[in-house]
Amino acid sequence: MSKKLENKGFNRRSLLRGMLGGTAVTMGLPILDAFLDGNGKAYADGARLPVRFGTYFWGLGLTDTPAGGTRWVPQKTGFGYDIPSELASITALKDKVSVFSGFRAIPDGRSNLVHWTGHASILSGVAPPRTGMFDGPSFDTKVVNAIGKTTRYKVIDVDASTSRRPISYSTETGGTFASPEITPLGLYRRLFGEGFQDPNSDNWQPDPSIMLRQSVLSAVKDQRKALMATVGKDDQIKLDQYFTAVRDMENQLAVQLEKPEKCEACEPPAAPEELPHAASIDVVNRNTVLMGRLLAMGLACNQSRCFNFVHTGGTSETYIAGESKIYHQITHDEPTDGKLGYQPKTSELAGLVMQGFGDFLAEFDGIPEGDGTLLDNCLIFAFSDTGYAKIHSIENIPMFLAGGAGGKHKAGQHIHTTGDAVTRVSLTAMQLAGAPVGEFGVGTMKTSNPITEVMA
Amino acid sequence: MKILRRPVRAFAVLLAISPVAFSIAAHSAESPAATGASAQVTVAARRLSESEYRHTIEDVFGPDIEINARFEPEKREQGLLAVGNAMLSLTSGGFEQYFILAADITDQAFDNTDLEALVGCSPKDASGADPRCARQFITHYGELIFRRPLTEAEVEARLETANQGAEQTGDFHHGLNLALTSLLVAPEFLFRVETAEPDPNNSGAFRLDGYTKAARLSFLFWNSAPDHELLRAARDGELHTEAGLKQQLDRLVAAPRFKDGARAFFEDMFQLDGFENMVKDPAIYPKFNQTIANSAKEQMLKTAVGLLVEKNRDYRELFTSNETYINRPLASVYNVPYGSAEEWMPYTFKDDSERAGILTQVGFLSQHAHPGTSSPTLRGIKLHEIFRCEPTPDPPADVDFSAVQASEKGTARERLLDHMENPGCNACHRRSDPPGLALEHFDGIGQVRKFENGELIDVSADFNGVQLDGAKGLADYLKADPRVPACLVRNVYAYGTGLKTGFRDEAYLAEQAEAFAEKGYRIPALMQQIANTPEFFKVHIPEGVALNTDTTGNAISDNATINNAQNAQAQR
Amino acid sequence: MSHKIILGFAALLVPGVALADWTRSYVIEWNEPAMYYGAEGGVIDPGSDCPQGTNPELDWIQVLMKAGYTREEAEWLRDPANPTRSPVHGQNQMAFRGKDRANVYTNPESYPDPGLAEVSGKVAEGINLDGDKTTGFVSPDGEKGIDNTFYKTLGCWKTYRGPERLSSGALQFNDSMRNGGWTTVIVMHGRGDDPMNDDQVDVGFYMSDNDMVKGGDGNIARDYTFRIAPHAHYEAIFKARTVDGMIISTEPADTVMLRDPGYTRDLELRQAQVQLQMREDGSLRGYVGGYRPWRPVYDGWVNARGPVIESLTWVELPSVYYALKRNADYSPEGANGEKTHISFALRVDALPAYVMTPDYRQQAAAIKSYKALAPEQKRERQFSYTVDGVVPYNDPNLKAGPDLDVLLSKQQHLSKK
Repeated sequence: MSKKLENKGFNRRSLLRGMLGGTAVTMGLPILDAFLDGNGKAYADGARLPVRFGTYFWGLGLTDTPAGGTRWVPQKTGFGYDIPSELASITALKDKVSVFSGFRAIPDGRSNLVHWTGHASILSGVAPPRTGMFDGPSFDTKVVNAIGKTTRYKVIDVDASTSRRPISYSTETGGTFASPEITPLGLYRRLFGEGFQDPNSDNWQPDPSIMLRQSVLSAVKDQRKALMATVGKDDQIKLDQYFTAVRDMENQLAVQLEKPEKCEACEPPAAPEELPHAASIDVVNRNTVLMGRLLAMGLACNQSRCFNFVHTGGTSETYIAGESKIYHQITHDEPTDGKLGYQPKTSELAGLVMQGFGDFLAEFDGIPEGDGTLLDNCLIFAFSDTGYAKIHSIENIPMFLAGGAGGKHKAGQHIHTTGDAVTRVSLTAMQLAGAPVGEFGVGTMKTSNPITEVMA
Repeated sequence: MKILRRPVRAFAVLLAISPVAFSIAAHSAESPAATGASAQVTVAARRLSESEYRHTIEDVFGPDIEINARFEPEKREQGLLAVGNAMLSLTSGGFEQYFILAADITDQAFDNTDLEALVGCSPKDASGADPRCARQFITHYGELIFRRPLTEAEVEARLETANQGAEQTGDFHHGLNLALTSLLVAPEFLFRVETAEPDPNNSGAFRLDGYTKAARLSFLFWNSAPDHELLRAARDGELHTEAGLKQQLDRLVAAPRFKDGARAFFEDMFQLDGFENMVKDPAIYPKFNQTIANSAKEQMLKTAVGLLVEKNRDYRELFTSNETYINRPLASVYNVPYGSAEEWMPYTFKDDSERAGILTQVGFLSQHAHPGTSSPTLRGIKLHEIFRCEPTPDPPADVDFSAVQASEKGTARERLLDHMENPGCNACHRRSDPPGLALEHFDGIGQVRKFENGELIDVSADFNGVQLDGAKGLADYLKADPRVPACLVRNVYAYGTGLKTGFRDEAYLAEQAEAFAEKGYRIPALMQQIANTPEFFKVHIPEGVALNTDTTGNAISDNATINNAQNAQAQR
Repeated sequence: MSHKIILGFAALLVPGVALADWTRSYVIEWNEPAMYYGAEGGVIDPGSDCPQGTNPELDWIQVLMKAGYTREEAEWLRDPANPTRSPVHGQNQMAFRGKDRANVYTNPESYPDPGLAEVSGKVAEGINLDGDKTTGFVSPDGEKGIDNTFYKTLGCWKTYRGPERLSSGALQFNDSMRNGGWTTVIVMHGRGDDPMNDDQVDVGFYMSDNDMVKGGDGNIARDYTFRIAPHAHYEAIFKARTVDGMIISTEPADTVMLRDPGYTRDLELRQAQVQLQMREDGSLRGYVGGYRPWRPVYDGWVNARGPVIESLTWVELPSVYYALKRNADYSPEGANGEKTHISFALRVDALPAYVMTPDYRQQAAAIKSYKALAPEQKRERQFSYTVDGVVPYNDPNLKAGPDLDVLLSKQQHLSKK
């Protein structure tokens, strides 16, 4: 609906006109915390915390071994999984993170475009015909359109990789990709610079589209009496339930026109320091922590509900400071150690890359919210471009869902399949985040079968 | 015809088992009459199924509209979702999904179309309200979406939404968008609200109104809402006349969309659920993948529609005919070459293939099997339930399954023998297992095999005293089994009306089954035939309804039905 | 045990099947150069084939300094912070280390042979191409006279060395093939009654445009159907016989061409032969051998981006050039005695499959050439974005070339930051 609003120049002036025209309901002074999704935990007084959604991408997968072993897939499935070496960084938060292994991208006859087909399949549900584009939108945009329309920013895109060119894999069209914030300072200015309204202050702007949504429901409700007058007992029960659902929806909308709870966790931070401009893993991980912290606070301050975060790109250019080979090269040229059974340097780098993820999550978990933490109200979908990077494998691509999604995600499980399509995890993420999507993917990767084990 | 000596009792059995089933059969005659209520009576509010929703949106707005939504789960009653849906409402979460979806659909409609073509008129000033053009728009789309003309009050309510929206946004079309959204979330769209009116030809009695009849027809034949012509026929009262109804029935069957309707019916009746979630052990069935599962379901539908609608063949041939359609993935499971550049090709299994009809297709065989083995019991139970309308009660709680589950030894027959002998189990297993054992040359995904764990598989079976040999024997048995066509007849009726069937319907259904046989068991003709009987539009006044006459007893009630049925039986 | 077999009498029942005595058909699910690995375990460990193990990684700073760069220049060229390592980790300037900074990829002889350790073991896989049991290797089963000089030459190079299905080259190209990169099918047709022992067998290798399909276990599924897609170049037909299920060429095929599981793309084989075993489980396994032109092998690696290949596979490409040239062992007609070809064997694993004629009407049974039906096929270079082994870069700040002032470009980069 707000797509229309944007297209048709729905702006403050037309709102004003509406109000002057006398058709608008009287509003208290500017308020707004809108939640369309209706998810999230209840506060004691009945208001609810929204679910936030984000993607987290890192390049080059995690380490498999040619003989079939792996350095990251837990032995145990279900709750209480064990922590293989490359997952060490999530140990402290493992009860809030679900691990997905054994899923693969299925290109249906299209080539495996190296460092592209894997995450393109996860995000768009289909292997694209060439590098640099997807066949359709990335799925995060579907979530954003469902839950992200009522905050200041629909979505915040971040790239912490310090690569030659900014990296984003989020696209509405499949052709044009988002322009991410690439420095902590840039991200700070976007979130907390000019135009930032502290949600804990009294200065609020309402979202006019909510009243329009209400009017849609009022027409429905008007007819209730006429309909109910002629029905029998069983139908009356059914229609009562229907009208109860309508009322629930109305309540959701009404709450958004009321002054919301203060964001208790919102403490606008100070501007961050500048970091050295380098792509070595220590700098990228420091970037990740700083930008993760800003991002988390941005969500806590209700500046956005959604984000896309890139730690390192598909052909990751990161490296260990002081060494001459970059991670990408090492994944390809390092032979499997005969005794260890895996590529030791590759695995070490994978562990370092995952350290960035663990630290990132810790920032979200460090912000108290309701009776839990911000992370409990988030769903963060983390994934990579490949499985076994040495051969650009698009099988066993590591994926994670972190955060409780407001109680909807039964987190802390390891789910293993033998070659199911990656889109099943994408669909699960969409549904947990509150996108009204029943089916995702194209061809063999088409699925309407989310992973219900992790859905409350 | 003598094959109808045994009326269909199967769901009568079910009624006896399930106490819930009585609620609908409860007589309305006891309902107190209320005075002063509307002349209209709502006889049912049946939740629109996902496929009905999708087809309707496509018919109203065109095929380009994308429907991104998660629909609430549907529920089977007496074997049919169509009956289950008539008993369902929706939850708050479900409504929220419809609410988001409706806005998404209207946004797409207003985004992708030449606005004047979509709206049908132009506003005087596109930056504000135009009640005249808005009314025209609401009236037009309202009728397609509600499947009947809107009442003045219904139009007024949307007009207010449209005008207010136009004023507030400074955009006439945005106001219309909101009004349209409001139509798409209304109960009159999301439920098939069926209404009855006093019958002018039968004082004190009720009949379904024309629009309700039109919707029953279009959903049965097309799986979608009525088109303009059907709505016109309803408006002009033609559906209450024999000639008018006949004319529409001919048109409904002749239309290409009849295939959609038949397909939806087969999908419901054959219980083609769960293919999306089918799990097979990859170590045992390495060929199996999701594409195979999806294709297997599609094959069953293509087979039924192709054979029974496009070729208009005898329904019973579904169990014997080897004419079907395959695609490349299925060809690998059937282990035959795939000789076409198209995605699907017609294919006839060879006589020596052991395949015989729809029960020997990968779909039925894999759906009713375990992840790592076949299951004669599951296959048998579902064969009885789906095709013979004979449901099997749940097994007793204290069964020891260990013998059956140990599948690494011997054949399934030996493992099941225990159940056939066990007095707690044998009543059901003696009925369910034999046809399943006849299908044992097909493994858990429907591949032919002759051996299990190194032992030759015996596919002989004693089915109701008839000795069968293998799949072909079973096919021949089913082709001659009068319960099979009778079960189809019951399903067409229950699917079309959304009503459970019971004792009271036996005579009527037996009569219909007889006519079905006389006409050579053709499904298109059967659907027309059933839709052409008064029973198809029979009014069941629900309990608790407020009638405006004091002649409740004269409304066609269940008592009357039973009387009619008895009369009909007596006449034979 | 379900062989795709059509016996003569079945042909009468099935319209569309050409008269055939027996036919079996397969799809290649894995193929790699037959490179015998002589170590007990690991992938690069020392073994009987390569006592020093796989050729070790090079010290590129030393290599560049030997080629005339100063240490500071060499270190900057290998520094990950150097943006001219773009577009990926390749370093274009590495091309220019020949005499007078000539491009060593296109002009390898401008650079002295850096040397490549060759296989010193006695065992090799492949086929006795010349019929001479006194030349060549011994097979793992003890057969003498195996001709596989390609293996001798490159068998210690990291690209090719490793246990079956585990060398980096085998993994890379088969993964690509199995994900739909290309499909090769095999059809064989015999005239006798017993497929396992038949004196007259024809074998055809054809391309198909139907992809292989993976089943629920992630492996290629058997029994799928593939249509022969006539190809102007990739096709191979052999005259053979079977002895206890082993298909053996009865005469070499003069010239055949297959799709190479490597950067060369064209696997042209002179005097080509097959040796393929029909196995109990219905699969097929064995070798296609012959003499392949060596220069396109070298060019394949160069065109795949010389600097990237050198870094990843631990080799100086000129050493590959010199080694191939040195060991080439076959001179076809018209080459004036110059050894332009080298003996080679491709190891093939194939699964039972249905193979249809190009019109889909029948299962392919007669083994014949379909080249005449092929659409015109340009043999495109795989890496159209490389020129002379490097990726041309338009950004003036990221230039490479014989005249590049490496240190100046370093200063420019650092001052910009």
